[in-house]
Amino acid sequence: MKRSVWRDFTIGIIEENPLFSLVIGLCAALAVSSKVENAIFMGVAASFVLVSSNILISVIRKIVPSQIRIPVFIVVIASFVTIVDLSMKAFFPAGYEALGVWVPLIVVNCIILGRAEAFASKNGIIRSIADGLGKGFGYTLALLIIAVIRELGGTGQIVAFENTIVSLKGFQPPQILQSFPGAFFTFGILMGLLRKIQGKGE
Amino acid sequence: MERLFLIFLAAFLINNILLIRFIGLCPFFGVSSRFETSIGMSMAVIFVMTLSSMVCWGVWNFLLNPLGVGDFLYIPAFILVIASLVQFVEMVIRKVSPALFKAMGIYLPLITTNCAVLAAATESVKPGFWKLSLEYNYSLGEALVYTIGIALGFSMVIIMFAAMRERIEIAPIPRSFKGFPIAFIAAGLSSLAFLGFKGLFGI
Repeated sequence: MKRSVWRDFTIGIIEENPLFSLVIGLCAALAVSSKVENAIFMGVAASFVLVSSNILISVIRKIVPSQIRIPVFIVVIASFVTIVDLSMKAFFPAGYEALGVWVPLIVVNCIILGRAEAFASKNGIIRSIADGLGKGFGYTLALLIIAVIRELGGTGQIVAFENTIVSLKGFQPPQILQSFPGAFFTFGILMGLLRKIQGKGE
Repeated sequence: MERLFLIFLAAFLINNILLIRFIGLCPFFGVSSRFETSIGMSMAVIFVMTLSSMVCWGVWNFLLNPLGVGDFLYIPAFILVIASLVQFVEMVIRKVSPALFKAMGIYLPLITTNCAVLAAATESVKPGFWKLSLEYNYSLGEALVYTIGIALGFSMVIIMFAAMRERIEIAPIPRSFKGFPIAFIAAGLSSLAFLGFKGLFGI
């Protein structure tokens, strides 16, 4: 039985959330999640690459020989990442500076190649767009949750796009949430809690 | 000589690619559940990473940079180098030593999407990604030392972590925290330990 297009979209948000359920594409997620602003930049950039490469791969899926599909997919993804890389450098230099090596590294983000291989190379364009959007949205949402916890908990305020959005008065922020180990802790605890709520534990 | 030593130490310990910089985490959590697989993975990574960084260094310095197309072609160029190199290494190993090929199994093709390899290649040629207090624009020898440092750092942590996870496996932990969540918390503790190396020799 075929899933509906809407289902293709929604399954990426919780059940198959790339970060919390599939546990792929972690590196970028953990590294950029110390600031909400960076998380938004990264989420949008990765979603853009994900959706566009899903579209193109779904279009060319019938003419690509299966022996060389991985190199072909990688080149498709690399081209879109280059577009993002150069556009960010031109329009959001601050965001580009903050994300650093992570923009070019979107190319090896397992989510994107994984979806290209597992979904777009087997399905039509509309469904591939839905899948890309769903996974991209789930990824961005998960990133945002981690980033809010880390920035609010670690600095006592959230500053995005030169405005202070939330600030906690009289709160002594534990610095650890901002640093590297804090990312691992936040992520591990969130993941455990999510599993607890979903009622599954292996 | 001193500069080489500092480059190595910075890549190996102080800015450890897994625990301090979060690069290459997917294979880290994916294969570190067993001791043997982690050794296979780290061997493959050391080999491919060293080779690909060298080739990418050549591509950048003799092809992309002189032609002035480096800035917008480096991502596709490097990833192509890595992908074809992995494919090539796979074919050679299959011909030369079938036993080794079997032992490495799935880890070889997986390396293509290991961000650590791309990061090492990019960093040995493109300046300014990770702010070390050592300036970039490495010569070939320095790039080699830097890459080996990164690869050894990766291997050391992944093997150490696999040994830890085999013990965690039999420890009493809440059911929903078994597997990945507890691995993340353990990684956080190891990362905390590695933060202690910060500032060693003023790097």
